[in-house]
Amino acid sequence: MSVYLNQVKAIVWKDFVTELKTRELFSSMFVFALLVMLIFIFSINLSIVSANEVGPGVLWVAILFAGTLGLNRSFMLEKENGCLQGMMLAPVDRSAIFFGKMLSNLAFLLIMETFLLPVFMIFFNVDLVSHLGPLVGVILMGTLGFSALGTLLSSLSSNLKTREIMLPILLYPLMVPVAIGAVRLTGQILDGKSLADMMNWVGLILCFDIIFISASIMTIDHILEE
Amino acid sequence: MSEVAQETDSPGYGLLGLAGAGVMTALAAIFIYVPTEKTEGIIQRIMYFHVPSAWIAFFAFFIVFLCSILFLWKKEREWDIYAHASAEIGIVFCTLVLITGPLWAKPVWGVWWVWDARLTSTLVLWLIYVAYLMLRVQSEPGSTRARYAAVIGIVGFLDIPLIHFSVLWWRTFHPSPKFITTQGLGTGNDPSMNITLLIALGAFTLLYFLLMSLRVRLERMKDEIDRIKKERLYSH
Repeated sequence: MSVYLNQVKAIVWKDFVTELKTRELFSSMFVFALLVMLIFIFSINLSIVSANEVGPGVLWVAILFAGTLGLNRSFMLEKENGCLQGMMLAPVDRSAIFFGKMLSNLAFLLIMETFLLPVFMIFFNVDLVSHLGPLVGVILMGTLGFSALGTLLSSLSSNLKTREIMLPILLYPLMVPVAIGAVRLTGQILDGKSLADMMNWVGLILCFDIIFISASIMTIDHILEE
Repeated sequence: MSEVAQETDSPGYGLLGLAGAGVMTALAAIFIYVPTEKTEGIIQRIMYFHVPSAWIAFFAFFIVFLCSILFLWKKEREWDIYAHASAEIGIVFCTLVLITGPLWAKPVWGVWWVWDARLTSTLVLWLIYVAYLMLRVQSEPGSTRARYAAVIGIVGFLDIPLIHFSVLWWRTFHPSPKFITTQGLGTGNDPSMNITLLIALGAFTLLYFLLMSLRVRLERMKDEIDRIKKERLYSH
């Protein structure tokens, strides 16, 4: 088990070192998320609709779009210099590669979100600090589901001719439960209500996370196969 | 080789006859036998196409799921052909559902589209399997394509219950329109309507199997042509 964990850790570490050297991914994801938010702010009239109503939607759309950018990049880097080949030649389980990539995708997204949330708070003039706890929980759950399914589909689409186009087309319809659930829960939190009467959504997103992490473990062997 | 060609050439005349007779009976039942519904009028007859199409779409996607699992397990080209054929037929019928639905809804509800749970999940389902077919077009033919498609076939079907519940809860927070309940099997209290619907369901199911056998035959022929082409190429 500790060998397996070390393998996962090595892959995550490798991704972090690459990112620290290039600083490509984080900056592009963050700036893109900001732009998505800005475009939404231009397209909705914040003096008519309340920020609590549209805010969660805008936040999650920004996260999903920026996340797609990151996912596309994540396996393209591996492809470019034949790194994926190297990882597959290494004596590690395929699911370790999946977990490594998933965790690094998750970590990048979470870092991006920590920078995005203060900006969101300022732009939409909402108070996040007072209910930070449940909000962090919802963001963790949603982002975990997104990176699990996203990593699986990104490993698959990176081998296609039109990878940048196919990833969102495959990913977004499948992300519908998390997208709706996360927006609902975030809205509930911003309204200052407790999550107690929305536990069915929490259960749904957790189900999504568990189902797609296990589905990925079972199918990743068939994707990473040359 | 000639034996293989013979086998793949045999058209299922029995199935063709059966499906033809089924569709004829269904059409007769829909347009002649069943009485016109009192409140909705003639437009209600679209239900006999709408409901069976929805059933076939879901059934076809379930077959995609089963065949995808079987393909990843056994790695036989046969299962990939079945999954592909079933997905294409499923998309055709899902499209029919999405077309007949608004056609019926406009005169009855007064709007083309409502963001009701059933409509939304059908639309999302359609998008998932369109993506599935696009993936098949985009990837190189062969085992890679079959493996990738099988993964999407499995993941897509696993997502259906989650999508169903999410869109259901999404809308239950709003006042749900009352007329939704009139849709579906509960409409026809009159036995003649239920009989017609059952005949239509049977006919559509036969049609599905007929289309499946034709599509599978086509795909096998394609494989055969590819094989012969390669043989020629290397023999010269």
